Amino acid sequence: MSTTKQAYSDEALAIHARDVSFDWTDVPTEYIPGHPYATHFWNVMHLVLPEGERAMADVLGRALPQIDDPRLAEELVGFIGQEETHASSHESFRIHLQENGFDIPKIMRLMEFLMDQVFGDHGLKGRAGEAWFHERLGIYAAAEHFTATVGEWLLDNRTFDEIGVDPTMLDLLRWHGAEEMEHRNVAYDVFQYVDGSYARRVRTALLASGGLLALWLYTSSWMYANDPNVKGSKWAWPIAFVKDTRRGLMPGLKFIFKEIPQYLRPGFHPSQMGPIDKAVRYLAQSPAASGL
Amino acid sequence: MATMTSERSSEPSRGLRALARGAQAYSALFAASSAAPYLSRSKPVRRTGFDLELVIDAVTREVDDVVSFTLRRPDGESLPAWVPGAHLDVFLPSGAQRQYSLCGDPADRTSYRIAVRRIDEGGGGSLAMHRLSQGDVLTVRGPRNAFTFIDVESYLFVAGGIGITPILPMVREAARRGASWKLVYVGRSLATMPFLSELRSLGGGQLELRPDDEFGVPDVADLLLRADEGAAIYVCGPTPLIDAARVLQPTLNPTGSLHSERFSAPPVVGGRPFEVHLARTGVTVPVGAEESALAAIRREVPGVRYSCQQGFCGSCKHAVLKGDVEHRDTKLRPAERDDSMLICVSRAAGDSLTIDL
Repeated sequence: MSTTKQAYSDEALAIHARDVSFDWTDVPTEYIPGHPYATHFWNVMHLVLPEGERAMADVLGRALPQIDDPRLAEELVGFIGQEETHASSHESFRIHLQENGFDIPKIMRLMEFLMDQVFGDHGLKGRAGEAWFHERLGIYAAAEHFTATVGEWLLDNRTFDEIGVDPTMLDLLRWHGAEEMEHRNVAYDVFQYVDGSYARRVRTALLASGGLLALWLYTSSWMYANDPNVKGSKWAWPIAFVKDTRRGLMPGLKFIFKEIPQYLRPGFHPSQMGPIDKAVRYLAQSPAASGL
Repeated sequence: MATMTSERSSEPSRGLRALARGAQAYSALFAASSAAPYLSRSKPVRRTGFDLELVIDAVTREVDDVVSFTLRRPDGESLPAWVPGAHLDVFLPSGAQRQYSLCGDPADRTSYRIAVRRIDEGGGGSLAMHRLSQGDVLTVRGPRNAFTFIDVESYLFVAGGIGITPILPMVREAARRGASWKLVYVGRSLATMPFLSELRSLGGGQLELRPDDEFGVPDVADLLLRADEGAAIYVCGPTPLIDAARVLQPTLNPTGSLHSERFSAPPVVGGRPFEVHLARTGVTVPVGAEESALAAIRREVPGVRYSCQQGFCGSCKHAVLKGDVEHRDTKLRPAERDDSMLICVSRAAGDSLTIDL
């Protein structure tokens, strides 16, 4: 094992959780008006991400005692709190969905099964347990690359404003997206610190991309098919997917295929993805997060 | 989980079971097999240089009670780059730690400048800083930025007193970019306001000096109205100034953005000392009246999970096995308070607690 030592050549960005809260009382369940599929596409964040983000915060948190670098350690501490607040904020909307008659336990059981049986520790101990821990760090690092790029997509999107997406929901999505941009390097740097294997990075990136895509499409299509307000065929979701993507309400499949090669470059680092000014600006404007 | 109320299916579907078997096979190959180390050769990347030893190259009296320090590496090599708004943690000889904004020029890669106002009735940090002289060595951590300067077309800067320190490099950068900028600089009197001549030498924008002894105490709404529509407004100064600006900004300039520096966790108030017993670790940790349980526990268990240190994120939730808790968080639901606590803010109601850690 060869360790690379590099001195930091630029400032750190302070990463802190923000004490946000969202009032869902008057928020319609179809918060992208007239677009039930797109609404269910973003519902995946409320349904699936809380468990995923908590599991990620847990796995990354296990790396904390190993990290000797005070900068990465403090970034990781901030990251954990941001992920926790993302999870509980999305969960609060999930409860709102449940209160409005959506039967979502099936999705919850799916997530519980995935987190336990697929992404869990597989009962591995010792060297194998450590290697599996590294593998999972790789998966989360790749997933965080996607959340950061989707975060940027959410901040750039203007269609949402044009068609009148519910402002509280839009704030949740963009606040989350902005913090994902803000902490985009952390999971990657933790993976590089603990492991840094290029083969592992490539493998876990492909796995994370395929897995996220499958989980996202499965969950959103299931919600769409089980939405009593959707008229017509339950299985017409691919048509709705294409339509809503063209309308600019979701990033399309092209998006994922554009992002993978970037992440797979041997010299990749999240800081190369450009300035995060739009995230800083949004966090200073967000009704839920500004001033925190 | 609140949503797990309806019936559980007895068996996961065939598809899910296949997925789980696939995952097991994957970890068997890439983690547990004898080939695993060859399939992923670890090549960790370790970064260094967040903590720096810097030598004081110059001490300059800016106004009566403000001195600035120019810091360099002993070997004269270049320092980490920074963006206006960045600060350094300075470790004082006493072991205390203070944060000071960088107020020099980000284009100068070989030196940092910080400025410190002497506060006689403060915690002593500024007095210790004022005793330093040229040639002394300071241990610093950073730079770190919690007040990032972003690139927009129009800015309003509002600085109060020593709050000019992060703002000064912002104004310089805005002037360099040719952006539209206005600075309102408030203070007790002109004689107490540092960096006036540097500010006067910057072109392209509007500098408004507004000492209280000439103009009276400023009306914050009036100051904010100087911003163009959609401007980025950077405010640094006394807490009441920042708080008022935060409240007023959304209605005064809805397309603009208000930026203020984010500070770390507030100190413990009204705490009593107690003991916390860590059941799994098997140690008992004394917690002082002025520290959090988390701070005390971290001395024994440095890797313990935490984050916000203000009792809202929930990262440091632990099960309580014995003892009553004085809950000071804003996160836990009433049912959770019966058997768990957030160790970053909550304390023992009595003399001791036992937690599952």
